[in-house]
Amino acid sequence: MSTQTKAEYLLLFRGTDWHKGLSPEEIQEVVKQMYAWLDRLTAEGKAKAGKPLFPEGKVVSQKKGRVVADGPFAESKEAIGGFFLLEVGSLDEAAEIAKDFPGLNYGATVEVRPVAPACPLALGLEEGAEERARASA
Amino acid sequence: MVEHFFRHEAGKIVSTLTRIFGIEHLNRAEDVVQETLVRALQTWPYYGIPKNPSAWITQVAKNLALDLIRRDKVFRIKENEIVHLMEQVSADSHAGVAEPGENGIADDRLRMMFTCCHPLIAREMQVALALKTLCGFSPAEIARAFLTSEAAIAKRLTRAKQKIREARIEFEIPAGAELTRRLDGVLQSLYLLFNEGYKASGGEHLIRAELCHEAIRLTSLLTGHPTGNHPRSHALLALMLLNGARLPARLDRDGNILRLEEQNRSQWDQPMIARGLFHLMQSTGGDEASEYHLQAAIAACHCAARDYLSTDWPRILSLYDRLIEMDDSPVIALNRAVAIANVHGPRAGIEAVEAMHNREQLDCYYLLYAVLGEFEADLAHRGTATKHFRKALELATMKSEQIFLSKKLQELEDPRSRGTDV
Repeated sequence: MSTQTKAEYLLLFRGTDWHKGLSPEEIQEVVKQMYAWLDRLTAEGKAKAGKPLFPEGKVVSQKKGRVVADGPFAESKEAIGGFFLLEVGSLDEAAEIAKDFPGLNYGATVEVRPVAPACPLALGLEEGAEERARASA
Repeated sequence: MVEHFFRHEAGKIVSTLTRIFGIEHLNRAEDVVQETLVRALQTWPYYGIPKNPSAWITQVAKNLALDLIRRDKVFRIKENEIVHLMEQVSADSHAGVAEPGENGIADDRLRMMFTCCHPLIAREMQVALALKTLCGFSPAEIARAFLTSEAAIAKRLTRAKQKIREARIEFEIPAGAELTRRLDGVLQSLYLLFNEGYKASGGEHLIRAELCHEAIRLTSLLTGHPTGNHPRSHALLALMLLNGARLPARLDRDGNILRLEEQNRSQWDQPMIARGLFHLMQSTGGDEASEYHLQAAIAACHCAARDYLSTDWPRILSLYDRLIEMDDSPVIALNRAVAIANVHGPRAGIEAVEAMHNREQLDCYYLLYAVLGEFEADLAHRGTATKHFRKALELATMKSEQIFLSKKLQELEDPRSRGTDV
């Protein structure tokens, strides 16, 4: 069996107010759990990067010319509070890791997305070529 | 990170912001602190714990508070004054180093203590408010500790804050003759807080032990401050430490109550006992012997005994004799009866209980019957003892108490055990 190839997966932490009702003691407990979780993933070589995001920002769109508005407008439940880049063997493995995200116990959700080597639109065009390449490998 | 770090940082900053915002804006101070801690949660896991977490939290709280002052209309009139005060808050007080800022923080917490424990606020509200503001407990945590609903605690807190506004209670450390009176009130509330944690009458064991530790921490803040550094404060702290030191040995692995004679004394917290004895010495600085002094001395007698048999009961009894002169509480009288029985035998113990003039106040107190049951069992009055333990079992509410009493009853019913039928 060949060694499993690793791919990148992005964990998007959704929900920016799940921690609002927590007491200081509980907040400290979640910080501790987050640390343990991230430390373990880093030690296992699965974590590549991660950053929190400010809730405020700008949304750029093209309606009647280029518009820059304050946003994002997603509801706080939906808004992305931070992201984390994993390098693991499969989407399932990434999802397993996401299951341990301590914020889940408090109402946050995690979205797990495979990182594509290129924009999926472009990939569609190249698909045929890729399949031929795999067949010859 | 130190245990309870967030909880205690919250208490510090809420106190300082309350001084700056004004006590009428206590809720706003609490909101700023909550937001600050959430910011820590949102950033620390990604970037690591800052080198000086305390300074980080102070700085973020300060920024958020400045934002609020500029945004919130209620601060408009006093905005400049508040901003000026805000800028004096030192964010660089390093842990362990006594900076000028540290004294200010201690002052603010004392102010908060005196405000929470103001005599115009009902006692149980005082304790809830102190836990919320100074100890960073959430209403849910307070409710768990006091075995009541979160809604009831929230109501208590709202009423206490309302009272502060209505009565225009000042956020200050009282001075002069007023200080002595007010200090007594603070000590009584801290004593109540400790007792709530110590008496195992319900609630989650862990969070109740935390009440004891918070009471000890707040009393230490008092004794460490020129305002509260009073013999009575030291006596109260000594009594908390000397009783608290025995907490780890009070329950067995299954959470069942262990009596003093059954406790494994090697589990008693020796450093805590040492601290307790130190403060007991400090408490002799004046010429008074308060109730706290006597209770601390009684606890010290237990801590000093190598085993149950070498307990100095005559000394404990003489301390109870003096204590009951000061405090005519039936609970103290019942404890004194136990001391009497240990010195003069179970018959004398029963007589002491019978002589209690306010005994009817304990009619529904399971320990009254448990104590009488013990005395009767020692006299080999199996039938009477059984009657008392049955009554105690009826009244006991905690599972551990019920298990303990059922065991007692089983022993009495077992024909192989000591004693004869009456």
